Amino acid sequence: MSFMENLLMALNSLKAHKMRSILTMLGIIIGVGAVIIVVAIGQGGEAMLKTQITGPGNTVELFYQPSDEEIRSNPNIFLVAPFKQEDIRAIEQIQEIKSIVASSTQMSTVSYKQETADASSTGINQAYLKLNEMEVEKGRSFSTSDFLGGRRVGLVSHVIQEELFKGDNPVGEVIKVANQPIEIIGVLEKPTGLLSFGSMEVYLPFQTWRTIYGSSDFTQVTLQAESSEQLQIAGKKAAKLLNNMHNTEDSYQVLNMEEIAAGIGQITRIMTIIIGSIAGISLFVGGIGVMNIMLVSVTERTREIGIRMALGATRGQVLTQFLIESMTLTLIGGILGIFLGWGTASIVSFFAGWPSLISWQVVLGGVVFSMVIGVVFGLLPANKASKLDPIEALRYE
Amino acid sequence: MIHLESITKTYLLGKESVNVLNNISLRIEQGEFVAIMGPSGSGKSTLMNMIGCLDKPTTGTYNLSGENVSHYSENELARVRNQSIGFVFQQFHLLPRLSALKNVELPMIYAGVSKSERQSRAEEALIKVGLADRMDHLPNALSGGQKQRVAIARAIVNKPKIILADEPTGALDSKTSVAIMEQFRELNQEEGVTIIVVTHESEVAEYAKRTIFVRDGMIQAPSSSSKGAFE
Repeated sequence: MSFMENLLMALNSLKAHKMRSILTMLGIIIGVGAVIIVVAIGQGGEAMLKTQITGPGNTVELFYQPSDEEIRSNPNIFLVAPFKQEDIRAIEQIQEIKSIVASSTQMSTVSYKQETADASSTGINQAYLKLNEMEVEKGRSFSTSDFLGGRRVGLVSHVIQEELFKGDNPVGEVIKVANQPIEIIGVLEKPTGLLSFGSMEVYLPFQTWRTIYGSSDFTQVTLQAESSEQLQIAGKKAAKLLNNMHNTEDSYQVLNMEEIAAGIGQITRIMTIIIGSIAGISLFVGGIGVMNIMLVSVTERTREIGIRMALGATRGQVLTQFLIESMTLTLIGGILGIFLGWGTASIVSFFAGWPSLISWQVVLGGVVFSMVIGVVFGLLPANKASKLDPIEALRYE
Repeated sequence: MIHLESITKTYLLGKESVNVLNNISLRIEQGEFVAIMGPSGSGKSTLMNMIGCLDKPTTGTYNLSGENVSHYSENELARVRNQSIGFVFQQFHLLPRLSALKNVELPMIYAGVSKSERQSRAEEALIKVGLADRMDHLPNALSGGQKQRVAIARAIVNKPKIILADEPTGALDSKTSVAIMEQFRELNQEEGVTIIVVTHESEVAEYAKRTIFVRDGMIQAPSSSSKGAFE
């Protein structure tokens, strides 16, 4: 007797009790659906956090963490920008590096007419905007001549437009940054993504910035490489070079984004496992429901089993029939659960701005797992059916 | 063909053992039409189950077409039931959710017959019992006589050597009963199928060429007087 025939037979008898079959499936549908939702949202969240942290551009930031000794000998060490012009020129020699983005930031008072606010003022080079994926929403971006000529022009963040200009278009207006007039040539797009909250930011060409603040040192240096492997090598080389040049032990370091990302990935995975196992419990309960209904079904169909045995069905064939029936029940439930989970995860991600990831592994896992539940929880009822005495079963009313 | 040799069947009821069949020896040849009669509790049902390979003897041997089936495993007995024996029951025992055609196909499913062959053979069997126009009906859309014809079609579809009918007319009116018994007679005469009918109705037993009386788990010598005792 082929599997297909058993399957058709199973579908037939499930169809005979539609309402009962659907209610029994419900436990499996909800269980599988919940697992799919949790895993999809968990994986989506993890993927999003990772891209938020490492960024798509294979970049790594160098930072300066002075030792206790250095801090004791120079308490003002944090006021000094840690990267000098010659540092940058030295790092540029490292062959693994594709580009260097050096910038300097200081908090400054920014004013427009009577409005005054504190904002971070950052001097940048031409690669900065591209590397940080910053797009101009209104007006224009910096041109090469803005950088070379050190023009007194600037880009402002969306928040500045809202706070300082009450939402009016600021392009063409002149604001004062650290008491120096700057013409606004563009407004940056609102940052998207979960972790990017808008803040008060002004961006100036580095040449302009250094004339305003009288410093040509950099507070941030970001390295970019072709691959993450090269990036790691470049980062280590640069940190070593800087420590040599400044005669420091270990003060110049590379911020390893991948480690942070892995840490966050770990957290989301643990969360997924915890919530997933709660969902797994509901799947288990659903499986018990299937077992219960299959036991009822076996009792109800005692005479059918007797007839089948009299007509030549072996105990093995009866066992198989009921196993496939319970497996079909849970498989259909599992497939419906996958659709339910998929739909719910999509709706959740639509409203939460959080991507949901349904991998084929999860779908396959859901299908296989629901089948396994059918077999495991079908075993007891099917065994009961196959152990019936045909004579007794035929007499059963 | 059927050869029972000193068959006993003992059931344990609590601590007491009850002999349902008591040293029964019986021979039924190929092509016979036999009726088994006896009062209720006589052991005739157990005897029928024994012949039908639904039950195993406690002691004694059962030879069916030269095979000693007394010690067959349950799977082997299932195969024997499937291949060599067709059952017809008093309550028809059709599966209610399957059409007449699908019900007749059932034994062939367990015989591993291909789908297309199953259908053509089931149609053939239903035509033979005169139900060509009722093939797609569900059992509850059929009359009692029609249901029993479907059951007969199901019993003959695997071309068994023996048909075992347990009170086949017990749930039918007398006119239908005659038609059903005629059907058995036809199968017996035209196809040479061995037919064993368990009944307590002498009208039914009259179709048989031989009647076996069972009483207290033993076979009684056939005599006109003992026949009369059951009337």
